[in-house]
Amino acid sequence: MHTSQCDHQWEMVNAQPGFIITEICHKCNLVTTYFSREENPPLEEYRDGEHFWNVMASAQSVSFNLQCKSCKSLISFNELSSLMLCTGCKTDCKVFKLLKRSPDHSVWVYVAFGFKPYKDKLQLSQEKLSILEDYFNMKRRSTKSSIKIVSYEMIDDLDSCSGGFIMDEFLLSLEAPKQK
Amino acid sequence: MKVKDIVENLSLNVLTDIDDKEVTGVYISDMLSDVMNKAQAGNLWVTIQTHKNIVAAANLIDISAVIVSQGYEVPDETIELANRYKVVILSTDDSTFTLGGRLHQMGIK
Repeated sequence: MHTSQCDHQWEMVNAQPGFIITEICHKCNLVTTYFSREENPPLEEYRDGEHFWNVMASAQSVSFNLQCKSCKSLISFNELSSLMLCTGCKTDCKVFKLLKRSPDHSVWVYVAFGFKPYKDKLQLSQEKLSILEDYFNMKRRSTKSSIKIVSYEMIDDLDSCSGGFIMDEFLLSLEAPKQK
Repeated sequence: MKVKDIVENLSLNVLTDIDDKEVTGVYISDMLSDVMNKAQAGNLWVTIQTHKNIVAAANLIDISAVIVSQGYEVPDETIELANRYKVVILSTDDSTFTLGGRLHQMGIK
């Protein structure tokens, strides 16, 4: 898969629009998220074994793979739900501490999130995080700054995290921007 | 062509500090995931989205400037975050269509 002989030049391939669906089981309160490629994602309650799933939220997103232009290695990013820019909402968070290591703002830290429940679903490996980081740094033109992508596992309190998520939930919730 | 040239030519409102980057083209979309997928470094990003998450997408791709069209008001929270992350935000009362035409007339494609 990721051969060390090649100086990889990543490009985004197989980009498919879809929806990140968040559901909750009203019986056990388990929350699950997944990527749906369906034109119309489910909105009604349905039963799956012991669980009674209800949609809590949906956000438009895109799934993609990265492929090396040189060696044609193909890396799937099916485990990625979204990227979030660390905005330093908690000063004792490990991600913010990482951001603070670059006081000249030469490194911006993004957090990669997988799908819930995190412990039950395959999450992005460190190798894939590095490949994603390489891809975006290659794409950027800036010589003054770069980005670092870390796992959500660095965040102790996920529920209170309020960074900038790159997903399109606002379009669907019809929260129109304010007109002057 | 640089960001300041475009600001002057189109009389855009400057909402943040300006980093006078080279402009490589224009990408028009109101979807952050679309920008992450298709916009190129150095592009101007034209959108009506104003929430703070536009800063996350613009910074990731190294967008030269975000132009908020159609007179939408950009919240202070977004402007403050953009300044922290050195993302340039401009605005105009022009519609997205009109702005696109004016950028095209300037030779930016």
